[in-house]
Amino acid sequence: MTISTSPNALRRQEQQIARKYAGRLPWEAVIWGLGNLAVWLALWPLVFFDVMPLWLAFPIATLNVMLCYLPSHEAQHDIIGRKGTKWRWLNELVGHLSTIPLVLPYRVAKVTHIQHHLHANDPDRDPDYSSMAPGPWQAIWKSIQNRQPGAKGGFNKYGDILRDIGREDLLLDGALFQIVHFAILIGLALSGHAIEAALLWWLPRQIGLTYIQFFLSWAPHHPADGTGRYRDTRAFRSSWGNIGSMGMQYHIVHHLHPYIPLTDTPAAYRDMRHILEQRGCRLENI
Amino acid sequence: MQFVLKNILHFMPLIFGLGFLGPLISQILAMAGHGEVAGLPALAIGLTIGGLWGMIAQWRGRWL
Repeated sequence: MTISTSPNALRRQEQQIARKYAGRLPWEAVIWGLGNLAVWLALWPLVFFDVMPLWLAFPIATLNVMLCYLPSHEAQHDIIGRKGTKWRWLNELVGHLSTIPLVLPYRVAKVTHIQHHLHANDPDRDPDYSSMAPGPWQAIWKSIQNRQPGAKGGFNKYGDILRDIGREDLLLDGALFQIVHFAILIGLALSGHAIEAALLWWLPRQIGLTYIQFFLSWAPHHPADGTGRYRDTRAFRSSWGNIGSMGMQYHIVHHLHPYIPLTDTPAAYRDMRHILEQRGCRLENI
Repeated sequence: MQFVLKNILHFMPLIFGLGFLGPLISQILAMAGHGEVAGLPALAIGLTIGGLWGMIAQWRGRWL
C-alpha cells in the first residue's frame, strides 16, 4: 500500500477505513446487554428459592455487573439504532436496561460520556479524569476513594459536570436511582436477607465499578497527559488480553470513530495502524 | 421533592449504616453461630457497629 504523508490524505484514508466498519447493527451487544441483565435478575429467585447456592451466585453477579456497562455504551453512541431509524427503540431499550445492576442511569451515562469524548484528559471538563492515577494499584485505590460519600471525583464529579453544562435535570435521574437502590438493599436487609443483598448486588457492584473504572477509564487513557484527537488515548497490550480488558486495547479507534461497534475495533485498528503511527499516536506493543 | 431527595442522599451514610450494615453484621454473626455476644443479641451488636460506622462516614465523608 502506498502511504501518503499529507495530513488530508491520511484523514481521507482513515475515514475510508472507518466507514467500512460503520453502519452494522451489533446484535452481539443487544444479546449481551439484555441477556446479561436477564441472568442477573434470574439469580435472585434462584437464590431465594434455594435452587442456586449463594457462593455460586456471587461470582456470577459480579461478572454481570462487570459486563453490564459496554452494551449501554454502544447505545450511548447510537450504534444500535440512530435517531429516526427503525432500531432506535432497541438502542434506547439496551441503553436504559443494561446498566441497572450498576445503578447508572442511561441519560446521565450518555451525557457525561459525550463530555468525556469532547474533553478527554481535561482535568476540569472530563467527567472521568478523576480515575487517573500514576499506576495500576493507585488506580484501584482511587476508584474506591472516588466512591466515598464526600469524594470530589467519580459519580460526584458527574454531578458537577451536569451542572456546568446546564443539565441539572439529569441529577434527578441519578438521585432516584441511588435512593431506589439503597431502599431495595435496606428493605432486603430488614427482612432478613442482608447477606443475599450484599452478595448479589452491593459487593458485586463495588467490584464491578472498580473493574470498569480500571479498564474502561484508567488503562486506555493512562497517563492522561495528552489532549487532542490523536493524543488523548492509546492502544496498549493488556496482560488480561483483549477480552479480559473488554476490548479496551483498541480504545484509540473508539475515540477517533465512536460509531464503530466495539467488536469491530480490533479489525479497524489493524487496518488503520499505519495511519495512526504516522499521526504520532501512542501504540504500545500492539 | 428535590429538598426531600437531597436530604435523603445527604444522610445516606447514616441510613445505610443503620439500615443495611447493621442487619448485615447481625445476620453474619447469627450465621456464624453467634446469636448472642456477651449477652447482647446479634442485632444490637450489628446496629451498634453499623450505626457508629455510618455516623463516622457521615461526619468524615468517607467509609475508609
